[in-house]
Amino acid sequence: MPTSYTEMYFPVLVQAILAMALAAGLLTVSRLLGKRVRNRVKDLPYESGIVPTGDARQRFSVKFYLVAMLFIVFDIEAIFLYPWAVVYRDLRMVGFVEMLVFVILILSGFFYIWKKGALDWAAGAVDRKENRAP
Amino acid sequence: MPISFPTTLDLGRFLPEILLTVFGTLFMVLDAVLQKRSKNLFGHLTLLALAAALGASLYAGSEPGPAFGGMLVVDGFATFFRVLVLGVGMLIVLSSYRFLARENAETGEYHALLLFSLAGQCLMASANDLIMVFIGLEISSIASYVLAGYLRDDKRANEAALKYFLLGSFATAFFLYGVAILYGSTGTVKLDQIHAVLTGPNAPFPVFVTLAAALMLVGLGFKVSAAPFQVWAPDVYQGAPTPVAAFLSAAPKAAAFAVFLRIFTTALEPIGTAWEPLAWGSALASMTIGNFAALLQSNIKRMLAYSSIAHAGYVLVALTARSDTGTSAAMFYLAAYALMNLGAFAVVTHLSGKGERYLTLDDFAGLAQKQPFTAAMLTIFLLSLIGVPLTGGFFGKFYIFKAALDSHLVWLAVLGLLNSAVAAYYYLRVLVMMYMHDPSQAVQEAEPLSHGLQLALVLPALGTLFLGIFPNWVLEFAGHSAALMK
Amino acid sequence: MNPLLGVLALPLVAFLAALAIPRRQPQNSRWWALGSSLAIFVLSLILVFRFDQGSGQEQFALDQPWIASPDIHFAISVNGVSLWLIVLTAFLTPLCVLISWRSVQNRVKEFYAFLLLLEFGLIGVFVAQDLFLFYVFWEISLVPMYFLIGIWGHERRIYAAVKFFLYTMAGSMLMLVAIIYLYNRTGTFSYAGILDLLASGKLVFGAQEQLLLFLAFFVAFAIKVPVFPLHTWLPDAHVEAPTAGSVMLASVMLKMGTYGILHFAVPLFPRAAHQCAPWIVVLAIIGILYGALVAMVQPNLKKLVAYSSVSHLGFVVLGIFSFTRMGLDGAVYQMLNHGISTGALFAFVGLLYERRHSLEIADYGGVATVAPWLSTAFLVTTLASVGLPMLNNFVGEFLVLQGTATVHFTWTVYASIGVILSACYMLWMYQRVFYGEAGQEVHHHIFDLRAREWAVAVPFLAMMLWMGVYPQSFLPPVGKVNDAILQESQVDVPVRVSLPVPVLPVRVEAARAH
Repeated sequence: MPTSYTEMYFPVLVQAILAMALAAGLLTVSRLLGKRVRNRVKDLPYESGIVPTGDARQRFSVKFYLVAMLFIVFDIEAIFLYPWAVVYRDLRMVGFVEMLVFVILILSGFFYIWKKGALDWAAGAVDRKENRAP
Repeated sequence: MPISFPTTLDLGRFLPEILLTVFGTLFMVLDAVLQKRSKNLFGHLTLLALAAALGASLYAGSEPGPAFGGMLVVDGFATFFRVLVLGVGMLIVLSSYRFLARENAETGEYHALLLFSLAGQCLMASANDLIMVFIGLEISSIASYVLAGYLRDDKRANEAALKYFLLGSFATAFFLYGVAILYGSTGTVKLDQIHAVLTGPNAPFPVFVTLAAALMLVGLGFKVSAAPFQVWAPDVYQGAPTPVAAFLSAAPKAAAFAVFLRIFTTALEPIGTAWEPLAWGSALASMTIGNFAALLQSNIKRMLAYSSIAHAGYVLVALTARSDTGTSAAMFYLAAYALMNLGAFAVVTHLSGKGERYLTLDDFAGLAQKQPFTAAMLTIFLLSLIGVPLTGGFFGKFYIFKAALDSHLVWLAVLGLLNSAVAAYYYLRVLVMMYMHDPSQAVQEAEPLSHGLQLALVLPALGTLFLGIFPNWVLEFAGHSAALMK
Repeated sequence: MNPLLGVLALPLVAFLAALAIPRRQPQNSRWWALGSSLAIFVLSLILVFRFDQGSGQEQFALDQPWIASPDIHFAISVNGVSLWLIVLTAFLTPLCVLISWRSVQNRVKEFYAFLLLLEFGLIGVFVAQDLFLFYVFWEISLVPMYFLIGIWGHERRIYAAVKFFLYTMAGSMLMLVAIIYLYNRTGTFSYAGILDLLASGKLVFGAQEQLLLFLAFFVAFAIKVPVFPLHTWLPDAHVEAPTAGSVMLASVMLKMGTYGILHFAVPLFPRAAHQCAPWIVVLAIIGILYGALVAMVQPNLKKLVAYSSVSHLGFVVLGIFSFTRMGLDGAVYQMLNHGISTGALFAFVGLLYERRHSLEIADYGGVATVAPWLSTAFLVTTLASVGLPMLNNFVGEFLVLQGTATVHFTWTVYASIGVILSACYMLWMYQRVFYGEAGQEVHHHIFDLRAREWAVAVPFLAMMLWMGVYPQSFLPPVGKVNDAILQESQVDVPVRVSLPVPVLPVRVEAARAH
C-alpha cells in the first residue's frame, strides 16, 4: 500500500512523463523525417478541394448565437434527466416530485423565450414586446 | 444516504427563497403573456412578493435551526440579513417606479431579476455550506450582471454590465478555487465541520488553508468592492441605471459581507491570525483609496461608488477585529449603510432626469431652494454618511471603531477615523451645492417627488434617525445573533 | 421637572416648531425665534436662582440610561462654571435674533431654525456629563454653524464653512478614539464615574498612555479654542459668517474648547496636563502676541476682531495652565467676558456693515459725527475689550496675570505685552473708524441706533459694566468648582518647570520681589 503523497502519485507522475515524452518524440521525429514544401497554395485553408473564395471572417446573424445559447441551456438541462432516470427507482416519489419542479421551471423558461420571440427566425413575424429604452 | 422528502420544517426555513423564486418565475411568464397591463403593475406585485418573503423570513427566524441536513442554517444572523436585503429590495422597487416610467422601460423582467438576485442573497445569508454559498453567490451575481445592463441600448450600461460580468466571474473563480483547496485539505464543505477539522488533532497543513482563505478573501473582496479589488465599482455604478446601482451598493454587498463574516468568523476562525493581516491591509486600503478617490469625483454616482468602497473598508475593520462585537458592529453598520446609501441614491434617481442627464455635483445646486424637503432628506443621509451623531452612520462607525479598539487595533481605528474626517469633505461638497448655490438646470426641471420616491426617501430617513437615536434594538439583536453563530 | 432638562429641551422643541412655520411667513419665524429664545433665557435665570451657589458640586443632575450596550447614559448636570456658560448662551441667542432681524432676508425660516438648533447643541455641550453624550452634542453644534456660515455668509463663505467643519471634525475624531479607549479601559462613559475610579486609585494610566489620551482630547479642544497654530480656520470663519454666526462663534463656540480643557482634559489626565503645561503655555503666549500683532495690521474689521479673539483666548489657556486658583478663576471669568465683549464687538461691526456694506476700515471714518450713540456703545465695548478697569475684561485679565505671576513671573511679563498691544490695535481701529472727517459715503449711509438695535446694545453694555464692577455676583460658584478641579488635578510632584523660551533678565528680581 502506498503510504505517502509521493508514493500515491508516483504512477501518475510516470504516466505524465511518458505522455509528454511520447508527444515530444512524435513531433520531433516527424519534423526530422518529414518533407516540407511551402508555397501559396499549400498555405491556403483546406476547403475540401474547392478553391476558397472571400474572407473567412464573416458576420453571422445574431440569431445563430441566440439559438446556440438556447440549445446549450436546454441541452445541458436535458442531460440531468439521464442520471435521474438511472436512479429513478431508488429515488422513488422524492425524485419524481423534484424532477417535476425542475421540468416546470424549464418549461416556464421555454414558454418565456417562446413568447418573447427568441425562437422566431423571421423578425417581425410576431408582434413582440420590447424592453428597449427609447 | 436515504433520500426523503424535505420536512415541513426544512421547507419553512427555506420559504423566503422559494417564494422569491416562484414569484420571479411567475412575473417572467406573466410579462410574456399579458398583452395589456396597468401601469406599475409589476412594481406593486413585487412589493407584495417581497412582503410575503419578508413575512416568511420572520416566520423562519421565529423557529431557528438548520435545514436540509445542515446545508442551510436559519439563525438570527441569517434572519437579520434576509430582512435587510428584502428591505433593500422594497426600497429599490419604490424608487424604481419613476425611473422605469421615465425611461419607458417598465417590464416584468426587471422585477423578476430583482427577485432572483434577492433569492440568491437570502440563500447566501443562510448558507452553512460552501457549496450553498457558492450557489447563492452565483444566483445573486448573474441576476445583478443582467440588471446592470438592463437598459440595453445604453452604451454605458452595456459597458458596465460586461465589465461587471467579466471581473465578477473571474472573482467567483477565485472564490471557487479557495473552496476547492479548503475541501481538499479538510475533506468537508460544511462550515462547522471545517471549524472542527481545523481545531482538531489532524489539522491540515496550514499553508493550504491560508491559501484557501486568501483566495476566498479575493473572491469575496471583489463582491464587497474592497481594495485592491475595487476597480470595477465606479464604472459599474456609473454605467448601471441608478436604482440598480443603489441595489448593487446595498444588497449584494450586504449578502457578501454576511458570507464573509460567517465563513471567516466561524469556519476559518482557527486560522484568524493568518488572515487578519490580509483583512487589515484590505480595510485600510479600501478606506483610503475610496475616500481619497471620492474627493476628486464630479459625477455623483462615481462619488457614491468610491464612498461605497470606503464604507466596505469600515466594515472590514469590524471583520478584522475578529470578535463578536466586531461582527455585530458590522451587521449594524451594513443596516445603517444600506438605509443611508439607498436614500442618497433615491435622490440621485429623482434628480437625474430622463436618460440620466443630470449626474454631476453641480446639478444639485440650489436643490434646497426649489425642493427643501428632498434636500432635507438628502442632508440626513449625507450627515449619516459623514458620521454625525444622532444618525445611524455615526453609531455604525462608533461600534466598528470601538470593536477595533477592543481588539487592540489602535492604529487601524485612528487611521480609519481620520479617514472619515477626509470623507466629510466630499459629502459636504454636496451639501454646499444644495444649500449654498443658485438652482441649476437640473433642479429647475425636476418634477415634484413621486409617491414611490417619497416613501423611498422617508422610510430610510426615519430608519437612519431611528438607528441614530435608539441603536440598541438593532445592536442587541445583532450582538445576540453574532454570539449564537459560533 | 428638572429645570436643567427644560433649558436643554426647549431649544430643541423650538427648533422643531420653527421648522413647522411656513416659509412664506418670515415674520412669524422671527417672532417665534425671539419669543422662544427669550423663554429659554428666562428659564436659564430660574436655573441660576435655584442653583446652590455655595456648593462646588454638580447640580440638577439627571441620569437616564440611553443605550444599554455600550453603557451610554443621558447624564446631564451643571456646576458653577457651566451654569454661566449656559446663561451666556441663552443671553446671546435672543440678541442674535434681534441683530439678524433686518440683515437676514433670504431663507429666514431656516436661519432661525439653525440658530435654535445651535443653541440646543451648545447648551448640550455644557451640560453633558457622559463623555459619549458630550461628543454627540459637540458634533451636533457643528452642523447648524456650518450652515449658518455657508448659507448666509459673505463671499468666501463656502470655503470658510468647509474649513471650519473639517478642522473641527478632524480634531473631534481624535477625541472620539480617546473616548472609546477610555471606555474600554474603564467600562463607563460617565465622567464622574471615571473621576471616581481615578480618585480611588482603581484606574491608573501609564505615563505614555495618559499623555496620548490627553493630547487627543487637547488637540480637539485646542482647535476649537483656537490655540496657535491651529487657529487658521477662525479668521476665515469669522469674516465670512453672518453677524449672528460670528457672535455665537466667538462668544460661545470658542468656549466649548476652553470648557473642554478645563472640565475634561485637565481633571482626567492631570499628570499629562502638568507635563504639557509649559509647552501649552508657550503656545498660549505665542497666540496672545501673534494674535495681537496680526490684529494690528488688519484692514478688515471682522478680521481684526477675530485675531483679537485668538489673543484673548490665549489668556484663558494661560490661566488654566497656571494651575492656580486665581488663574483658573480668571480663565473662567475671561471666558464669560470675552463672550460678552467680543460678542458685542461683532454685533456692532454687524450694525456698521448693515449700513455701509463694507468691512474695510478704510471705508469708514468720522462715524462718530453721524452716529454718536452707536459710537459711544462701540467705544465702551472697545474699552472693555482693551481691559479698562471697571469694565469686565479687566477683572479676568487681572486674575489670570495675577495667578500666573505666582507661579511663573516670566509668563506674566510676556502676556502683559499682549494687553498693551490690544490697547494699541483696538484704539487705533476705533480712531480710524469713528473719528476724522466723515466721508460722503459715511454721511450718506450711516445712521444712529434704532430701537431694535438699542435693545441689542443696552444688555451688552449693562453686562459689561456689571461684570466689571461687581464680579462677586459671578465668581463664587466658579471658585468652588475650580477648587475641586485643582484638588482633583493635584500631582504629587509640584511641577514648576522653567519655560523653554529666552529668559528675561527681569525674571530673578521680579520673582524675588514677589
